[in-house]
Amino acid sequence: MSPAGCAHVNAYKVDNWRQNLRVIYQCFVWSGSAETRRRKAKSCICHMCGAHLNRLHSCLSCVFFGCFTKKHIHEHAKNKRHNLAIDLLYGGIYCFVCQDYIYDKEMEQIAKEEQRKAWKLQGVGEKYSTWEPTKRELELLRHNPKRRKITTNCTIGLRGLINLGNTCFMNCIVQALTHTPLLRDFFLSDRHKCEMQSNSCLVCEMSQLFQEFYSGHRWPHIPFRLLHLVWTHARHLAGYEQQDAHEFLIAALDVLHRHCKGDTTRDDNGKKANNPNHCSCIIDQIFTGGLQSDVTCQVCHGVSTTIDPFWDISLDLPGSSTPFWPLSPGGDGSTVNGESHLSGATTLTDCLRRFTRPEHLGSSAKIKCGGCHSYQESTKQLTMKKLPIVACFHLKRFEHSAKLRRKITTYVSFPLELDMTPFIASSKESRMNGQYQQTVEVLNNDNKYSLFNSPRSLSVCCGGVGILCLTLHGLCLCVSCGGADIICLTVCVLWWSRYSLFNCLCVVVEQVFSV
Amino acid sequence: MSKDSKMRATINQKLTEMGERERLKELLRSKLTECGWRDQLKAHCKDVIKEKGLEHVTVEDLVVEITPKGRVLVPDSVKKELLQRIRAFLAQHAT
Repeated sequence: MSPAGCAHVNAYKVDNWRQNLRVIYQCFVWSGSAETRRRKAKSCICHMCGAHLNRLHSCLSCVFFGCFTKKHIHEHAKNKRHNLAIDLLYGGIYCFVCQDYIYDKEMEQIAKEEQRKAWKLQGVGEKYSTWEPTKRELELLRHNPKRRKITTNCTIGLRGLINLGNTCFMNCIVQALTHTPLLRDFFLSDRHKCEMQSNSCLVCEMSQLFQEFYSGHRWPHIPFRLLHLVWTHARHLAGYEQQDAHEFLIAALDVLHRHCKGDTTRDDNGKKANNPNHCSCIIDQIFTGGLQSDVTCQVCHGVSTTIDPFWDISLDLPGSSTPFWPLSPGGDGSTVNGESHLSGATTLTDCLRRFTRPEHLGSSAKIKCGGCHSYQESTKQLTMKKLPIVACFHLKRFEHSAKLRRKITTYVSFPLELDMTPFIASSKESRMNGQYQQTVEVLNNDNKYSLFNSPRSLSVCCGGVGILCLTLHGLCLCVSCGGADIICLTVCVLWWSRYSLFNCLCVVVEQVFSV
Repeated sequence: MSKDSKMRATINQKLTEMGERERLKELLRSKLTECGWRDQLKAHCKDVIKEKGLEHVTVEDLVVEITPKGRVLVPDSVKKELLQRIRAFLAQHAT
């Protein structure tokens, strides 16, 4: 099974072989367009027995299809002395003389290109393909022979963070970001190309942070450089005051987004996409969604639509001074998303329903209607036009009114799996068009989210305030008691089964650092 | 060709034409990965290669070894779901 092909493959490479091979791939192996599919459906049957199963192969030198299992193609090869055939299911090239599948670099290249083209035509986009290292990468691997093996119980990627003085809000967000799989993959595969002249690039610092987290060191990391950079770039967060974790998340995403200039993807001509409205940096790819706001005039029923990008969804909670409860029509408050309403607890879905309900703007807030050309009363409704890959929900627990700033402590339950289908713009349009949304099992997983990060604040009995961050790998608890004493615990929750969420949990408490 | 295989051929044609075959393949692929079937067979492949020796093993060897085991290990739930999908498709596009 040598990767250099065989002599018979080389004999085939004459005249216009590349084009001929491409045609075969396009028409009979990976049919992208409707026309090629029709042709494939009609013609891809064995010329000897008419079956379409049995590992159908096509001769490379003439138009002949034959079963592999029944040896029909073998007969043809012997009779006509056509040595090569192609497997119509997977595109592999078979040589009858060598009696095995042959891997020729040039042919593999053509096969890959044609497969990608077909996926594009089908609207599938990129699919997972195994990593093929470049020459440079092979060189690097040879020069750096140390390898790290990941076993089921290893704690790689987990590391505690030292509290630098009320920085637990920052630590929990940093833990959440380092456990975001897409972000982790981006940084661990060195995708950031820095274009900043000075040393103050936050993305470089994040990259460094990931290196620290995956270094295998078990003592807690001191993120002083990260803190300094954040203070430099987001002055409003500077100082030792207890800050809002959500504020930090937005500020961090903003700075990372700004510093990602060097990584925006290039278009087909190799030029950089310079459109500020359409950034394709990693932060935008992962976190940015589109929020659609529809304002409907109550007189002429004309709808004015705007779509704004967002990084987080800020949800109001019951217990605030604004009225909470009216559920939108069609919501029966029962077991959507598997949440139970046994104790009457508010669920995340409730908050989302409230967020996306139509809101009457009242007579004091009339909007100038483009249809009526006058000021009219209207209703406004928010829906999700584009769902981000990672959705961040912000529960507005801090209420600022004229007199005070208080914290709303209402318990909100959230599910491990969330289906956002009822809240997206196209669902709302279907409902309005009278199509009833049935809760059939949705085979399409596009709008489903799994919980993997949940930074939450809790009060610890010793009187301090801590921030708890629940990640897919474990709980990271950073507690600061009175500022001076720092206790940092890492609780590792090991998921035993890879294929279903919790068959069995094992909790290991490891005290990393104590005073 | 028997009546049975004629019917199969017709169904296959219809599925291929409408692109449903590709979609079903994708569904099957993800279901089999989810339930661990792919990893099980991958491990079995490795065993076969170790047995026969890396330099001498052919694709044919693997196919002969893997196919029966692969067929048996497909969970019933996956078979049911695929069957349901095919039935639904045929019902929708009955001529």
